[in-house]
Amino acid sequence: MSATDWNDRICTLGPFEPAPGDGFIVCRCVEITQGDVRRAVHDGMFTLHEVRRLLRCGMGLCQGQICGRLVRGIVAKELGVSPTALEEVTARAPMRPVEMRVFGSEEAGA
Amino acid sequence: MSHYDMIVVGAGPAGLSAAVQAASHGLRVAVFDENARPGGQLFKQIHKFFGSKEHMAKTRGFNIGTALLQEARDTGVTVVLDAVAVGLYPNREVVVRAGGAVRHYKADAVVVAAGASENTVAFEGWTLPGVMGAGAAQTMMNINRVRPGKRVLMLGSGNVGLVVGFQLLQAGCELVAVADAAPRIGGYGVHAAKLARCGVPFYLSHTILRAEGTGRVTGVVISELDAQWRPKSGSEKHFDADTICLAVGLSPMNQLLRMAGCAVRENGDVLCYPFGETSVSGIYAAGDAAGIEEASSAMIGGRLAAIGAAHRLGYLDAQTLAAEQARLEGMLQSLRQGMFAPQNRGKAAQSTDEGCPLSSSLLGQGYLRDDEIANYPGCKQAKGVHPVIECTQNIPCNPCQDVCPKGCIRVGANIVALPVVDKTATCTGCGLCVAACPGQAVFLVDEDAEPGFALVTLPYEFLPIPKAGDKGTALGRGGQPVCPAEVVRCKSASAYDRTSLLTIRVPKEMGMRARFWKGGAA
Ligand SMILES: Cc1cc2nc3c(=O)[nH]c(=O)nc-3n(C[C@H](O)[C@H](O)[C@H](O)COP(=O)(O)OP(=O)(O)OC[C@H]3O[C@@H](n4cnc5c(N)ncnc54)[C@H](O)[C@@H]3O)c2cc1C
Ligand code: SF4
Ligand code: SF4
Repeated sequence: MSATDWNDRICTLGPFEPAPGDGFIVCRCVEITQGDVRRAVHDGMFTLHEVRRLLRCGMGLCQGQICGRLVRGIVAKELGVSPTALEEVTARAPMRPVEMRVFGSEEAGA
Repeated sequence: MSHYDMIVVGAGPAGLSAAVQAASHGLRVAVFDENARPGGQLFKQIHKFFGSKEHMAKTRGFNIGTALLQEARDTGVTVVLDAVAVGLYPNREVVVRAGGAVRHYKADAVVVAAGASENTVAFEGWTLPGVMGAGAAQTMMNINRVRPGKRVLMLGSGNVGLVVGFQLLQAGCELVAVADAAPRIGGYGVHAAKLARCGVPFYLSHTILRAEGTGRVTGVVISELDAQWRPKSGSEKHFDADTICLAVGLSPMNQLLRMAGCAVRENGDVLCYPFGETSVSGIYAAGDAAGIEEASSAMIGGRLAAIGAAHRLGYLDAQTLAAEQARLEGMLQSLRQGMFAPQNRGKAAQSTDEGCPLSSSLLGQGYLRDDEIANYPGCKQAKGVHPVIECTQNIPCNPCQDVCPKGCIRVGANIVALPVVDKTATCTGCGLCVAACPGQAVFLVDEDAEPGFALVTLPYEFLPIPKAGDKGTALGRGGQPVCPAEVVRCKSASAYDRTSLLTIRVPKEMGMRARFWKGGAA
């Protein structure tokens, strides 16, 4: 694995080996553990996008404000790359959770 | 869809500064903030700020906030509270959620000044109640007036950890330790020294192994790290604690900017051109959202974005723009100097610009050793009352020079230079320098007031305020008891802005060692 080929689907990282700290919750909103994230990487989720889509970490109430860096660090470590080498997940509106009731009552502006 | 000349997201120091500056050039401006009160981080900052006069140095953060809000009212800025911007589009359309509805607004310029969020670290037990960000602890204390806990461990020795640590002491908490994985204290030495002289121990090259407790934090275990940042077995230390504060850095809140398609740099920060303009024309970033710095630079960044936008929209001619830009960028440059400046981060300097050795004790234990004091130009012995300035690192600050009516203290044109005491000037003992110093690093020493005794005047910001005649113990720079000490007087004056000047009497040989006072016997 290197920083350039983590998107190569032929790559494997070898089997998932349990490690100390796997039980720590990293995404508090959706209750995803460090082990869940590591396992996802070993299952072939080599980008932050995929990890987020599979596990929904970063899609809860805080929208990744607490776990974003932690998840990035875990994925990077598993891939053996620098955390900054991983592409940022897409930011989308609404950037804070908005109830459908509110979202549906769009006003033209004050 | 309603329309403004400029929409600002975030009513912190950067956003408010951008708004008032733009309004002063005639733009119609609206500011949205998700909170019920404006001011962002400023209203939590009860301490005096560094910098020079033009940066409002020696003013407490919340007073700067109050002044900015008044300016916003005077310039007719619309501040909309309890309003979260949930979307931003490249055509400068802002979607705001407020009061059970979402509304769309459009502006010719948008400034995102959304601030930052606190980083965190995961360790065993970090989700227990009692583990919190330092910023959260600061909000509890200084906004909601709730003490976060009784016994606190602070992880992180940057300025946030040091400043919030001191505020925890002021709120009556015990600070059992400040731990940091780095081998050197990350924040200003003067901030660390305030904690050390109160007896707070520093554990560098240490990290948290686990928080203990079921249902809430009851203890914490830290461990030393080896050169590969792995815990050294057998180096564990346990503390009884009910609170763990994390001050491990901040990350810019730039989701809105990324959503609008603004390009980012390799480190994840949004790419900014002059005036904080992003790659999407008409969209600007200011303050921590653009890149983590501090409140003074956030305010300047906000004003820069505003003049850029004002010019783009035809409210400011090119000549005025250039003059204002030069002035503001000059102010910014003067803050971005010294050993803590962005470009010097990570460099382990050994001496100051003046060639004075940097104290390894200050960087490792948080205080200057008694035998190091004479190395610095602010700490010279003299007859009668005189200032002793224990400010030994190049930081952008000079209020001590500014306030002295007698010209005893000189920093010079370069505001990161170490303060020098001019022995030819005569100090009257007015104490203005002691109260003005945001680092609480200035003391008055008089070794000739009474035979055999020295009088030491120190800045004091704790309650209750001691009274003349109170008996207690003088503490040294490292917080160790050095001798019994009686309070001679404790002066408060409006010019001191809530810092009391505590004068204690100690044996003459302790004049250069006693730096704090505690009521009662040692
Ligand atoms: C604990 C702590 C201590 C600090 N101590 C100091 C210090 O001693 N001296 C110093 O100079 N600096 C200090 N700083 C740094 C300083 O507070 C910041 O650099 C400064 O506040 C940045 O200003 P800002 O306007 O960019 O952001 P902020 O002050 O954070 O303001 C941003 C505002 O935008 C709002 N907002 C965010 N997103 C949205 C949205 N989508 N919609 C609506 N509103 C939104 C936020 O709620 C907030 O009110 C400290 C920071 C922290 C966290
Ligand atoms: S006590 Fe007053 S006169 Fe003396 S150095 Fe300080 S400010 Fe100057
Ligand atoms: S001694 Fe002067 S330069 Fe140093 S922190 Fe205090 S006021 Fe600033």
